[in-house]
Amino acid sequence: MGIGKQQISTTVSIVMGSLTGLLMNARRRSEFGLLVVGAIVVLFGYILLSIAISGKLPSRTPIFFAGAVVAIVAIQVVNRRFVPDADPILLPVALLLNGLGYIMISRLDPHAAGQQLGWTVIGLGIYALVIARIRRVTDLERFRYILLLLAMFLLISPLLPVVGENINGARLWVHFHSLEFQPIEVAKILLVIFFASYFIEKRELLTIPTRRVGNHLFPDLRAFSPIAVAAALSLVIILGEHDVGFSLLLFVVFLSMLWVTTGRWTHLAIGLVLFALGTFIASHLLGQVHERFAVWLNPWKTESSTGYQPVMGLLAFGRGGIAGTGLGLGNPTSIPYNTSDFIFAGFGEELGLFGVTSIVVAYMLICASGMRIALRARSEFAKLCAIGLVATIGFQAFFIMAGVVRLVPLSGVTLPFVSYGGSSLVANYALIGLLMRISDEANRPDEDQFDAPEWLITEGDTVIGTTGR
Amino acid sequence: MDRRIRIMLVALVACFIVLFVQLNNLQVRQASSLDNSQYQPPAQGVINPNALPRGDIVTSDGKIIAESGPIQAGDSYGPKRIYPYGSLYTDITGYFDVVDTNSTGLENEYNAYLVKHQATAHSLSGLLTEQSGTGTVATTINSKLQEVAAAALAPYSNGSVVAIDPATGAILAMYGKPTFDPNLLAQHSQKAVLKYFNSLNPSSSSSPLVNAPVGRTYNPGSTFKVVTTAGIFDHDPSIETQIFPQQTSLKIPQTPQLLHNFGGERCGGALAEILAASCDTAYAKIGLELGANALVSEAGNFGFNRTPPIDLPSYEVATPCFPPLESNPYAASACYPKSVVLANPVIPIGPGNQPFVAYSAIGQGNVTESALQDALIAATIGDGGVMMTPHLMSAIVNSQGQVVSIYKPTPYLTSTSQGTADSVRNLMLGVAAGGTASGLFPPSLNVAAKTGTAETGLSGCSSTWLIATAPAGPTQTPKIAVAAVVPAAAGIGCSETGAAVAGPIVAKIIDAYLLPSAATHG
Repeated sequence: MGIGKQQISTTVSIVMGSLTGLLMNARRRSEFGLLVVGAIVVLFGYILLSIAISGKLPSRTPIFFAGAVVAIVAIQVVNRRFVPDADPILLPVALLLNGLGYIMISRLDPHAAGQQLGWTVIGLGIYALVIARIRRVTDLERFRYILLLLAMFLLISPLLPVVGENINGARLWVHFHSLEFQPIEVAKILLVIFFASYFIEKRELLTIPTRRVGNHLFPDLRAFSPIAVAAALSLVIILGEHDVGFSLLLFVVFLSMLWVTTGRWTHLAIGLVLFALGTFIASHLLGQVHERFAVWLNPWKTESSTGYQPVMGLLAFGRGGIAGTGLGLGNPTSIPYNTSDFIFAGFGEELGLFGVTSIVVAYMLICASGMRIALRARSEFAKLCAIGLVATIGFQAFFIMAGVVRLVPLSGVTLPFVSYGGSSLVANYALIGLLMRISDEANRPDEDQFDAPEWLITEGDTVIGTTGR
Repeated sequence: MDRRIRIMLVALVACFIVLFVQLNNLQVRQASSLDNSQYQPPAQGVINPNALPRGDIVTSDGKIIAESGPIQAGDSYGPKRIYPYGSLYTDITGYFDVVDTNSTGLENEYNAYLVKHQATAHSLSGLLTEQSGTGTVATTINSKLQEVAAAALAPYSNGSVVAIDPATGAILAMYGKPTFDPNLLAQHSQKAVLKYFNSLNPSSSSSPLVNAPVGRTYNPGSTFKVVTTAGIFDHDPSIETQIFPQQTSLKIPQTPQLLHNFGGERCGGALAEILAASCDTAYAKIGLELGANALVSEAGNFGFNRTPPIDLPSYEVATPCFPPLESNPYAASACYPKSVVLANPVIPIGPGNQPFVAYSAIGQGNVTESALQDALIAATIGDGGVMMTPHLMSAIVNSQGQVVSIYKPTPYLTSTSQGTADSVRNLMLGVAAGGTASGLFPPSLNVAAKTGTAETGLSGCSSTWLIATAPAGPTQTPKIAVAAVVPAAAGIGCSETGAAVAGPIVAKIIDAYLLPSAATHG
């Protein structure tokens, strides 16, 4: 009796209004469609694999189906709540790659597949945490030195005596109890954020030539110090942790960001010279680097020893041909590290040129979406941050895929979202979360700007300062 | 900044396009050469055909001598291969080692039929429905004879027996020692298989892994006189009527050494007498009169210096050797890759290689052959001069019970004429009736036989042989030809003759085959 008709109809109209509001959001609606399409592709792959291997439908089909429904609903709820205006393509594509990777891992190593599924759930949780906790891009800028310190700590943590661990000749792992973790995957994101904010702050110093050498003007030498620092850092990673892949990746990302900030080709040239020098030194100091070059030039010569893995990878691509052998019908178990570094070769065999092209296109979609986010971003920092994050994921995917097909020397990084590996998966979902945050902020309808807190004084797109609160 | 962001995107997309081009290069342009590369790892597809049940191998009287056991859950090697009779049929079936994908014998030769394979469609509906199954290989082996052969060889550590149907070349029994248990090489533990394999001294020439009846060769000794005798009719019939002098030894040109008869016996006389007595001095003289060319030609017609085309993996089958007497008998050849000289004492060479000719005519020197080859010679005499292709498979039946393949007997060599073969057969009847093989066979069976006692140079010890074919009466068609060899070895009296050691072995087999009642009594 306490509730009158008036109240009920008001409540109903409020609920209906908010529902239509949600349904009216075109970006989230397309995201929903893409998620459903992706889930159908993965579910079909999963069923086909099981039929190919055992001739039966997978026993867990209903659970798998229910899991997909729950995941899609949860993602939609979280995205509509925290990033309603963010890009609709990024997350569905990342999930599709994750799903395809899961199918291949479950075909090669069922035990690892279970773990990968767990890491996917954790990764999505971290993604939700990132978009829920980081409400504004500028939040990142504020903590840049803390982030740098954290990144440095993560970078050297594998060298610490108790937690560090050597796996396959590279010291890139830390482990707590049974949990293994590759800290560099997280450090790469923190470094991108730091570089972005540092470069924006020192932009003029890095760009404007002040020093005269002969007839040419060069920017202040001090401006080059970050390049030197980054080169040194890369060298430390190579020498200390024997990780060629990530040091290359960090350096390339760093150079890209520096170039986008300053537009100076000299920076790029000097960086490349430094890198070539570093590689030359490393290949003389480190057998591993030298060996990778030799194997890259001719893997067939050492087919039975150091060239075995790349040769097995190339042969798998040959077996696959254009259409592939079909999921579960190839021989990818012959490739060493077929769930991590060489998972791309497994796809080459079982899904053929069609399948691997789809994967390449998926990464191109991620890159293009990321660049669109960068173009639309409201602050220079956000732009640079987006560029750095996209370059990280794009170049990492390119390096390992190109390494497997012998286009470049093998670098030994994971294929983002596809390879088996918890730290890689979690870090890349966090990365997507950051891009979504930047995208959401960029696409937010203009009236939102009036909601900006009074302590934040903005001029156009660029944050020029804050007042105390 | 936005311009540079666009350039960055173009750079990344360019990277991916280069990647796409390389993928096309690998998966389209180079696809077939990579796919057919010698480095391709062995297929580990969903189905390992070796781990599926294999077809059976059966004897001609229906006994299963190789079969697949029940499927054990969790055993990735599939059902175990079982040889119910242990080592009895090792020389025929060989073994199938699924762990290392190794096989020998019929397991290897007819693997394509024994493994689960796509059946040939016999009808339109067969084209539309997938039909796959295993084949059963039926052999020519008579289980009764095989058991008799093994029992007869039981007292000896070395030796071989081969029994053939002269008219078809079908192998009726084939057993050799030393041998091994194929079950132990078909175990599903790599460690256990390797342990047993190594215990068989795989690298030694005396390893039990050698298929003795077809793979071990010895000097044939006097059994070779059958070929020399055929040479008389084919090359110089005038010798047939000669009366040879009674001698204990023969002076051979070009060497100071004298060729002695076995045990210093004195022998001579007409051809029938000298074959019955296995007179070495007379046969050495025949050899010298026939000459190198005739002997080499006759030996070649009887299959020497070529590998018998039996349906076993060719590496298991030894080539019977006869030295190139026309040129340099010591010259390395396919048969004597290292110019091995088995002759004892060392035989000097000269124009016409007379000492070599003399020793070769009595199956000494560098003449070597397997039990299979000597059985083929006996069978050829029994079959009117035609050597039939020896074979172990008689038919292959698919899982639907249809005969997929049936063996059609084919001639291997026309060794000599019907007339020569019949003449030699008549002379060999005399060997069993009143010669060195007398008393071994029931006279009613009309056995044509020849003994052999080859000096090996092993402190005067001999390899003992006996070849026979029966029934060999003038109007009869021989049904079986047998060769048995027991090489010189510790435990056999060194003065034993072919008749004393190999004779009873052959006799037991012929009795068992031709006198069914004898077999039932054991």
